[in-house]
Amino acid sequence: MKATLESNYVSDVMAEVKEKHPAQPEFHQAVHEVAESIAPLLEARPEYRKKKIFERIVEPERVVMFRVAWQDDRGEVHVNRGFRVQMNSAIGPYKGGLRFHPSVNLGILKFLAFEQVFKNSLTTLPMGGGKGGCDFDPKGKSDDEVMRFCQSFMSELFRHIGPDTDVPAGDIGVGGREIGYLFGQYKRLRNHFTGVLTGKGLGWGGSLIRPEATGYGCVYFALEMLAANKQEMKGKTCLVSGSGNVSQYTIEKLLQLGAKVVAVSDSAGYIYDEQGFDRDKLVYLMDLKNNRRGRIKEYADRFPKAVYTAVDPKLGYNPLWTHKADCAFPSATQNEINAKDAENLVKAGVRLVAEGANMPCTPDAVEVFHGAGVLFGPGKAANAGGVSVSGLEMSQNSQRLSWSRDEVDAKLHHIMRSIHDTCLRASERYGRKGNYVDGANIGGFLKVADAMMDQGLS
Amino acid sequence: MRTAHPEDLGPAPRNAAQLFQELMRFRVREILLISSPYDAFTLSEDGSLYESLLDEYVGFGLTHMPNLTHVSRGDEALSLAEEPGRFDLIISSLHLEDMHSVEMVHRLREQSIDTPVVLLTYDNRELASLLHGDRARVFDRVFAWQGDFRILLAIINLIEDRANFERDTALVGVQSIILIEDDVKFYSSYLPLIYTAVFEQTADLIAEGVNPAHKLLRMRARPKIILCSTYEEAWEYFEQYHETILGVVCDIEFPRAGGPDVAAGFDFARNVIQSHGDIPVLLQSHDAANRARAEEVGASFLRKDSPTLLRDLKQYMMEHFGFGDFIFRGPDGTEVQRAEDLRALEDALLEVPDESIAYHGRRNDFSRWLKARTEFDLAHRLRPSKVSDYGSIAELREHLLESIRQHRRGHQRGRVVDFDADTFDPARSFARVGGGSLGGKARGLAFANTLLATGALDTESTGVRISVPPAIVLGTDVFDRFIEDNDLLAFAIRCNDDAEILDRFRAAAFPREETDALLTYLGAVHYPLSVRSSSLLEDSQFMPFAGVYETFMLPNNHRDAAVRLEQLLDSVRRVYASTFYQSAKHYLRSTPYRLEEEKMAVVVQQLVGAPHGDRYYPDVSGVARSYNFYPADPMTPEDGIAVVAIGLGKHVVDGRATVRFCPRYPRHLIQFSSVEDGVGYSQRTFYALELPAPDTATAPAEPGRLVVESLERAEQDGVLGAIGSTYSRENNALYDGISRDGTRVVTFAPILKSGLFPLAEIVERELAAGRRGMSGPVEIEFAVNLSVPSGTPREFFLLQIRPMAIDREVERLAVVDVAPESLVCRSTQVLGHGASDNILDVVVVDPDRFDRAQSVVVARELALVNTELEQQSKPYLLITIGRLGSADPWLGVPVRWDEISGARVIIETQMRGMRIVPSQGGHFFQNLVASGIGYLTVDGDNSESFVDWNWLAGAPGDYRGTYVRHLRLHDPLRVVVDGQRGRGLVAKPGTWQR
Repeated sequence: MKATLESNYVSDVMAEVKEKHPAQPEFHQAVHEVAESIAPLLEARPEYRKKKIFERIVEPERVVMFRVAWQDDRGEVHVNRGFRVQMNSAIGPYKGGLRFHPSVNLGILKFLAFEQVFKNSLTTLPMGGGKGGCDFDPKGKSDDEVMRFCQSFMSELFRHIGPDTDVPAGDIGVGGREIGYLFGQYKRLRNHFTGVLTGKGLGWGGSLIRPEATGYGCVYFALEMLAANKQEMKGKTCLVSGSGNVSQYTIEKLLQLGAKVVAVSDSAGYIYDEQGFDRDKLVYLMDLKNNRRGRIKEYADRFPKAVYTAVDPKLGYNPLWTHKADCAFPSATQNEINAKDAENLVKAGVRLVAEGANMPCTPDAVEVFHGAGVLFGPGKAANAGGVSVSGLEMSQNSQRLSWSRDEVDAKLHHIMRSIHDTCLRASERYGRKGNYVDGANIGGFLKVADAMMDQGLS
Repeated sequence: MRTAHPEDLGPAPRNAAQLFQELMRFRVREILLISSPYDAFTLSEDGSLYESLLDEYVGFGLTHMPNLTHVSRGDEALSLAEEPGRFDLIISSLHLEDMHSVEMVHRLREQSIDTPVVLLTYDNRELASLLHGDRARVFDRVFAWQGDFRILLAIINLIEDRANFERDTALVGVQSIILIEDDVKFYSSYLPLIYTAVFEQTADLIAEGVNPAHKLLRMRARPKIILCSTYEEAWEYFEQYHETILGVVCDIEFPRAGGPDVAAGFDFARNVIQSHGDIPVLLQSHDAANRARAEEVGASFLRKDSPTLLRDLKQYMMEHFGFGDFIFRGPDGTEVQRAEDLRALEDALLEVPDESIAYHGRRNDFSRWLKARTEFDLAHRLRPSKVSDYGSIAELREHLLESIRQHRRGHQRGRVVDFDADTFDPARSFARVGGGSLGGKARGLAFANTLLATGALDTESTGVRISVPPAIVLGTDVFDRFIEDNDLLAFAIRCNDDAEILDRFRAAAFPREETDALLTYLGAVHYPLSVRSSSLLEDSQFMPFAGVYETFMLPNNHRDAAVRLEQLLDSVRRVYASTFYQSAKHYLRSTPYRLEEEKMAVVVQQLVGAPHGDRYYPDVSGVARSYNFYPADPMTPEDGIAVVAIGLGKHVVDGRATVRFCPRYPRHLIQFSSVEDGVGYSQRTFYALELPAPDTATAPAEPGRLVVESLERAEQDGVLGAIGSTYSRENNALYDGISRDGTRVVTFAPILKSGLFPLAEIVERELAAGRRGMSGPVEIEFAVNLSVPSGTPREFFLLQIRPMAIDREVERLAVVDVAPESLVCRSTQVLGHGASDNILDVVVVDPDRFDRAQSVVVARELALVNTELEQQSKPYLLITIGRLGSADPWLGVPVRWDEISGARVIIETQMRGMRIVPSQGGHFFQNLVASGIGYLTVDGDNSESFVDWNWLAGAPGDYRGTYVRHLRLHDPLRVVVDGQRGRGLVAKPGTWQR
């Protein structure tokens, strides 16, 4: 009976969504995934169905679509199409990135905005969900052209955003340079210096701890998972994959908490350093990867006790995950841990896996972890540190304060603890204790749904 | 062939009052050369052509030395040729600026102009297709340029001989040699040789002459060469003139009775020998098995593919045709000195009697002579110098001398002068040591030097000193002497061991005279040197030989000049040795040339850069092309493309990470559109030359050491400021300049975006000047030195200029709309132009197994399959992943050129999850395009382009190693590449019809 109710409900909603939003397959897919994961919740909470919470939540509160005309360096006029999808503001001003890429269309932005609603909700910060962008192709454009485009884009967008209304951030094609041009134009039009965008330069409203946020956050999340099981990070042996921002700051935070990191990797191979990393080795690694942009193999040349193993595609698994350890932090890339790797990890004694990258574990691998009782922190919760610090940038702007690194770090820790608790509580309440995947899905949805209930029909 | 006598063509030419006018009555006096300026420059190089012409014409008092009028457009040629009798001979290259040469000749004939037209082509591939059809028949004769300027002399003589032969034979019974050869490439390399031998013999005859009149008669009565292409033609000549035939040089297979006859040569030889047993006949063939049969009929035999064919042929002629040594005499009837060059002229002017100066002054001989050597400035300066303008002959003499001295002092720039310690300016001069050719690379440099000197690239508007680095060139004669003195040729051709070749060459003695010259040179220069190969064939159009030979760098800073000399000589010997390395031999096999034809000149050049402590490097090195195969909006292909890097140019030519920019849009830097990609794929290290302490006791006689340095070093050296940007992780932004904290990234933003140095403007202007000079797309190499003492101008050096190898076929190929299901591949980014329907073999890098970390293994597997397929002469289609030929194994498969040389078509697909901008700086790329390989790029971002991987996966074949699959198809694929419209496709077997 239950299965019928769930599947009927989901299929009804999907049919309606497809009818109302034709030719937007990405959006359909996103709605379908959320609907499936919260079906048990909708059964337990009949008031949601009564008030048509899900039917409301899939409909953007507002979509703005506008012409962006700009002139290139030769004086030629170009016309692009700009968008801002303001999906949901139940728990705070719309918040979500701007994307400049030729592939941008309404369907993609709605899909991204929909996911953003729950990501932001999970952070426990007051942030609604939105997304925007333009089909402008920044490839091969001069700085001046990008500036003129951004100014034209903001000349329309400025009426629809504001520090208490909608606070866009960067996304693909929108980095520090673009945020600067957009902010400058907004300021000129409004004559307000406010936190209307996040991702700003450090000297003019940006927050500290942005590069560190994801890695630190992931470790804090793992710390909380351990704490919930009466354990501590100190003394734990950890495997970290990747060697980019996320990995580097994951290692840094692990070292601060007294853990022992024995492995790190790049796309060519990995290093196993039985003695573990220390501050000096990390400094060397960071210089190697960030400044010299060399290969991790050089680490083994510098520290001969470390063993370098090159990637061997003939193996059906990654030998990095066979080393004895307590915790694993896959922070390199998508699908880097398959079922075989997951089994190896379990065999090697790993009791905790926290995803620093986006979806590094395949669904099969996640199943293995759950089956073996391994604590598994899914990316949407464990790597929410980045989004969280965007929220903290808004808070600092509102207060007209710039917090120190320690202050931001402390607040990040606090947020990650809240995320963890939200996930854990939700999983407990809906009968899936310890399943952080379901916990994250339900926890993010609940907060938005309850806020919508509270605020009446809109 | 038509013949033209001066009588038919208009009024008798000037200076006709000669005693021996009866002989060689038709002379080629006025030649119209239609070609790009670069082709013309190639022919005349630095005046060698005219020296040779002078030797023959002026040197023997025959005052009518031919004038060369050069134009680069067909319509210009047509209007000039309209004037009756204006030209005796028209020489045209294949492609003119505005029309194809075939069209030009048709229009010429339509206008009833019957001046003989000879085609001189550089492009073997196009020549083959031209000869295949009927179109070549519009030309009176077709010749292939193979790097020897004497071909022009041969053409003139052949045309003259054909016109004068009948009459002269009748008058005094001049001798002739019948050459039967229908292969354009072969007779193009024979004729210069045979003529040289003929002149040598004539010189012998003259030496034996009893009086000047007699000598002149003998000179004019030299043997004629009759070139025939068919049996009937040759036999007709033989029958008619058998009394005066000196010998026959004869192919074995040539046309007879309207079709090819594989035994025509044997029959001809037999018939000749039967009727005149004393006439020597030399038969030639590719097939050694023909030797016995040749000897049977009483003829001598030479193998055409013998690496020493030319030497053998010469030897044969020496022995059988009775040729001997050669001595030159002075101009005029009286005993007068000979001037080989400007310096010799200056010396002679000091000594010759007044009458002689007066005589030549009246006749404007100095001016004419100088003009022929392209010394136009000086020629014009001397032209008004009539005897009557001066009080005395002594004054005239002084004026002449002073003009020449001034010229020599002031105009060394833009000239290739003979090395002279007194006049060599270490900051500017371009001089030669030893005779022979300068080779391709040095010729390009000399041409660049000329472009600069003629003001095409003025420096005033930019405030930058633009020049070619000062250099000396060791001519190919030095190479010849080195090889000969040490008896290395046979060994080097035979030896398969590079190490052994190197050892023998390094131990060999260097010619004394040149050693002294180099020691003198080193006395003047104290900067680091680059020692570069400059072979005859290197950088010739369509055959770039790019990167085949070696280049060395020398710190040249040791206190002891003897040590520096040893280091320099060692490097030169190493360059010589590399002529015979296996990779060069292998490369030559893929070209129409024989190893023996290859000769090596060496350029010894200032290495551009500045010392930074114990390192030496330039701020910028780069390569630019006037045609961009991968333009992105708003660029057009004609806007060109440049790639630049910090440090020595090796980084660029190896195809490592560089900054690419379009000279017209220097602020539109595609690779930095995305901050992550821009930072990820940017230059991280650079090459510098190590400067050892100048008094190192045990300085080895070896080339200098290149070292890889980090950007940190460049920042310490103060070089990065003009080149670098800073990546801020905190702000996720790339900031121009290095004033902020963060990761340093080589972007060239301060130069390209902030106008710190007008690099884009200079590159754009030089490409335009080069394009005009070569009447086609060009490639340049350059280096920039910003690290100059304050108060001195920054320097831009042009290191190389050469024609870009782009195919421009007359016929266009249609890429019709074909259903995607019937295609293996479709692409909208292609290189090359042509069609192929005989490919049965496909070599595929398996996309499911491919792994960036294993790209070196992939390269090895590809090389193995390539070797096998090449041995079986099976052309194949190569489908690969990432940037092919990349020096960085992370960006693609790092194959060398010779490891995939059997591929006729290449499809380059994008690496998964990684966008790799195709390299345009690499030698690999240049070789690829030059070999006429179809090159299709399939970019994941572009739905028009695709590869049908599923079909490939289902095709029969086997793995050759782990990553490479070799498919053997039963029916051929059809490949069509339309380079002009940028489309290409590969059709599956059975989906198309011939």
